[in-house]
Amino acid sequence: MSILSAEFLLFGVAVVLCYYITPLRLRWGTLLVASVGFAALSGWQTIAHLAALTALTWGGAWALQKLRRGRRLLLAALLALDLGAMLLLKYQPALAAWLNARFGTQRNPVWSVWELALPLGLSYFTFQSAGYLVDVYRGKAAAQRNPARVGLFLGFFPQLAQGPISTWKELAGQLTQGHAFDPVEFVSGFQLLLWGYFKKMVVADRLAPTTEALLKNEAMPGLSIMLCVALYAIRLYMDFSGGMDVARGFCGMLGIRLPLNFKRPFFAQSVAEYWRRWHITLGAWFRSYVLYPLTISRAGIALGAWAEKWLGKRAGRVLPSALATLCVFLLIGLWHSVSWNAVLYGGYFGLVMALSMLLEPLWKALRRGLKLPKSGWMRPVRVARTWLVVGFAQYFAFQDSAQTSFALLRQSFENWQLRDAAAQLTALMPGLEWGIALAGAMAVLAVDLLCERKVDVCGVLARGRVWIRWPLMLLLLLAVLIFGVYGAGYDATAFLYTQF
Amino acid sequence: MAQGTRERRRMLGRFWLRLTVFCVLAVLLLAYAAYVLTPKYDYGICSMLNLYRQPLNSVDVLAVGTSLFYSGINTNVLWDEYGIAAYNLCSAEQPFWVSYYAIREALKTQRPKVILLDAKPSAYSSDYTKRGRTILSTYGIRGLENRFGAMLACVETPAEALGYLTALPQVHAYYNQVTGEDFIFPPDNGGRGADWKGYIESDEVEQHQRPSLVWNSVKRNLNSREEAYARKIFELARQEGIPLLIIGMPNPDYAYDHMYYNALWAVAEEYGISGINYNDPNLRYGLRYTSDFADWQHLNVKGSMTFSRKLAEDLLERLDLTDHRGDEAYASYDRCAQQWYEQYPTFISKP
Repeated sequence: MSILSAEFLLFGVAVVLCYYITPLRLRWGTLLVASVGFAALSGWQTIAHLAALTALTWGGAWALQKLRRGRRLLLAALLALDLGAMLLLKYQPALAAWLNARFGTQRNPVWSVWELALPLGLSYFTFQSAGYLVDVYRGKAAAQRNPARVGLFLGFFPQLAQGPISTWKELAGQLTQGHAFDPVEFVSGFQLLLWGYFKKMVVADRLAPTTEALLKNEAMPGLSIMLCVALYAIRLYMDFSGGMDVARGFCGMLGIRLPLNFKRPFFAQSVAEYWRRWHITLGAWFRSYVLYPLTISRAGIALGAWAEKWLGKRAGRVLPSALATLCVFLLIGLWHSVSWNAVLYGGYFGLVMALSMLLEPLWKALRRGLKLPKSGWMRPVRVARTWLVVGFAQYFAFQDSAQTSFALLRQSFENWQLRDAAAQLTALMPGLEWGIALAGAMAVLAVDLLCERKVDVCGVLARGRVWIRWPLMLLLLLAVLIFGVYGAGYDATAFLYTQF
Repeated sequence: MAQGTRERRRMLGRFWLRLTVFCVLAVLLLAYAAYVLTPKYDYGICSMLNLYRQPLNSVDVLAVGTSLFYSGINTNVLWDEYGIAAYNLCSAEQPFWVSYYAIREALKTQRPKVILLDAKPSAYSSDYTKRGRTILSTYGIRGLENRFGAMLACVETPAEALGYLTALPQVHAYYNQVTGEDFIFPPDNGGRGADWKGYIESDEVEQHQRPSLVWNSVKRNLNSREEAYARKIFELARQEGIPLLIIGMPNPDYAYDHMYYNALWAVAEEYGISGINYNDPNLRYGLRYTSDFADWQHLNVKGSMTFSRKLAEDLLERLDLTDHRGDEAYASYDRCAQQWYEQYPTFISKP
C-alpha cells in the first residue's frame, strides 16, 4: 500500500481515530495492530521477515543482556544472521548472475535465482534491529521484555517504506508510552503531511520525465543533460524528503516525533556537511555502528600508529578516520545497488571526504593566503561548490552501467546550443508543467530558507492565527489535489527510496 | 486540577469546532474545484446538470444514449416544426449501465411520454474500456444512489471506484484546459444557457457512402454487461409504464454494428419493446451520406435536421404526443429553438 494511495489515506484516518479513542496505556497496541495490518497488506514476505527478525532481535537482546561470557561472539552471530539475511535477499540476484557467468553455463547455472519479492523496507528495519542489538551490547539500551514492543519498534508502519532509521532510544519509548491528544501537534503534523505530499506529488513526480529522458540514453544537447542531472538531484530531494515529511507529519498527528532525515542539504557548504544533512539517519547509523568501530578497531589503531611514525602526528590521527570514511561511503554506495556505478558513487564521495580530511591544513593555509573570509560572499560560493561536487556524483546515481554514465558525462560537454537545449526541454514537458514545477520548487526553497533561519514554519503556523493558517492550508490542499501527479492522466510514480 | 481539566475540555471543544468548520470549508472548496476542472460539455455532465433546471415534467421525449444521439436528434427541429418537447440526456460513448442510472435519475423530475434508447452501445464489445470517460459522464448525476451506482457499474471492483468517488483524481489534470466559463455554476452549456435541450451540433461535412450490407437477421452476441443493463432499462421502463423505443442512428459505419443491433432487437422483443433502425435501406427520407455527416459516425447539422424530421413523424405516428407550442409552460423550448436558429440562419424551418 503506497502512502500516496487513497487506501492509505483511509487507513491513516482510521489509525488516528482508533489511536485517540483507545485508552492511553493501550495506544501502543493500536499502533502494533496497524503496523501488522500494513505489513500484511504489503505482502507475506514483509510480515514473515518482520516476525522472524522480531524473534531474533528480542531473543538476541535478552541473551546479550543476560550473558556474562561470549557476548561478543553472540553479537557477531546475531549481526551475521540479521544483516546476512538482508544481504542475501537483496544481493542474491546479482551474486547469482556473477557466479553463473563465472563458473556456470546457461544450461547448468551454479545458482538459480530465487524469484522472491523483497520485504518492504528491508534495509530500514534490519538496520534498526542491528542498531538495537549493538546498543544492548554496549549497554546503551535495555533489552525489552515484551516481544510485541520490539516488533512495533521494527515494523512501525509510517517508517516502514523509506525509514527514517531510528534508534531504540529515539523511538521505542515514544511508541509505547501513549500520547494524549495535543491540538497544536496534531495541526502541525497535518501541515507537515500536506507539505510532504506537495513536495512529492507536485514537484518530484512532475520532474520525472527529465530523469526518464536521461535513462532513455538518447542524444541530448549537453546543456540539457547537465540541467536534467541537476534536476534529478532536486527530484530525489523532493521525493525522499517529501516522503519523510509525510511519515513525520503522520506521526506528529499521533504525538510521535520521528528523527529528522533531511536538513535542507542543498544549503550545505561542504560535502561533509551535505552528508550530515542528507539521509541523516543512515549517515548516523553508519557513523555509530561502522565508522567509529572501524576507527577504533585494532587495525585502525595500528594504522594510526604506523602513520604517526612515518607521516607525522596529524596523519596518525586523521588517516584511520579518512580510510574508515572511504570504507563507509563504499558501503553506502553498495547499499544502493551492486554495480560499478554504486562503487563509483560511494568511492567518489568517500575519496572527496577523505581527501578533504587529509588535506585540511592545506586548505586552511590557502584560505589564509588568499585572505578568503569565512562568511559573507564566500558562503554562496561554498554552497555552489558543494552543489557542483554533489551534482557530479548524480551522473552515477541513476544509471545502472558505468559506461553509460561516462558517456553521458562526455555528452554533457558537447553541443551547448541554447536553442537546442530549450527545444529539448520543452519537448520533455510543456511550458505550463515547467512553470508549475518551478513555482513548486521556489515555494519549497522559500520554506527551506525560513527553516534555515531557524523559523519553525509548521509550529508557527499551527500556533498562529486561523485566518492565516486556514487559507494557507486550503491553498496547499488545493495545490496538491489539482497539480499533484496522480489519478487519471498520470502514472503514479513510486517513491525512489522504497526499493531499499 | 478541576480547572485545568475544564480548560482542556474547552480547548478541545474549540478545536473540534474549528476542525469541523475547516473540513466543511475544504469539502466545499474541493467540490467547487472539481466542478471547475470537470470538462462538462461533451461528457454528458452539462446535459445531466441542465436537466435539473428544466421545469418539472416538461420533457415528453427523453433521448438517452451516445454522441450519435446528441449530435443527431435535433431537439430544436422537433420543437419548432412538430411541437415535440424532447431532451437529449447523452454522453460520448455512453454504455447502457450509465444510461440506466441516467434514466433513473431523470425520472425523479420528469415523466416522459417515451424514452428513446440509442442502440449503439450494443456494439460495444468490452466491459470496462474508456473507464475514465464513462465515469466522467456520471459526475453530473446529483442523486448519490444513482451516481455511486453508475460509478460502481463502470469499474470492475468496488475498491477501484474509491479513486473516482471524489471527482478530483479523475479531473484534476484538466487544469490546462480551464476557461473562464468553467467557473460559472450552473454551467452555461457552451453559451446556450439553461434553455438548452442537450443537442450538440457538428458543423463539419464529410463525404460518405451509404453502407453496403446484406440486411439479414444474423445475430452476434451482445457483451454480457451491455445486455444485462439493457434488460434493466427495459424492466425499468416496464415498471414505470413508460414506452421505450430503441433507435438505430443512421451511420456510415453501420455494417459492423448490424448483427449486434439484431441481437438487441431480439432481447427487446422479449419485453415487448420495439424500435426503429434508421440504417434500414428501405427507409428513404432524404438523408444524404455525401453531405449529411460530420464524420464517419455523427450526423452534421443538415443531417440532424433531416433525420429529426423523420424521427418526429415516426414518433407522432406511433405515440400520442401533444403539441406544446404556444404553451407558456414550455417557453424554454421556444427560447432554445430561437437561439439555435439565430445561430444557424441558413437552416430555416419549413413554413
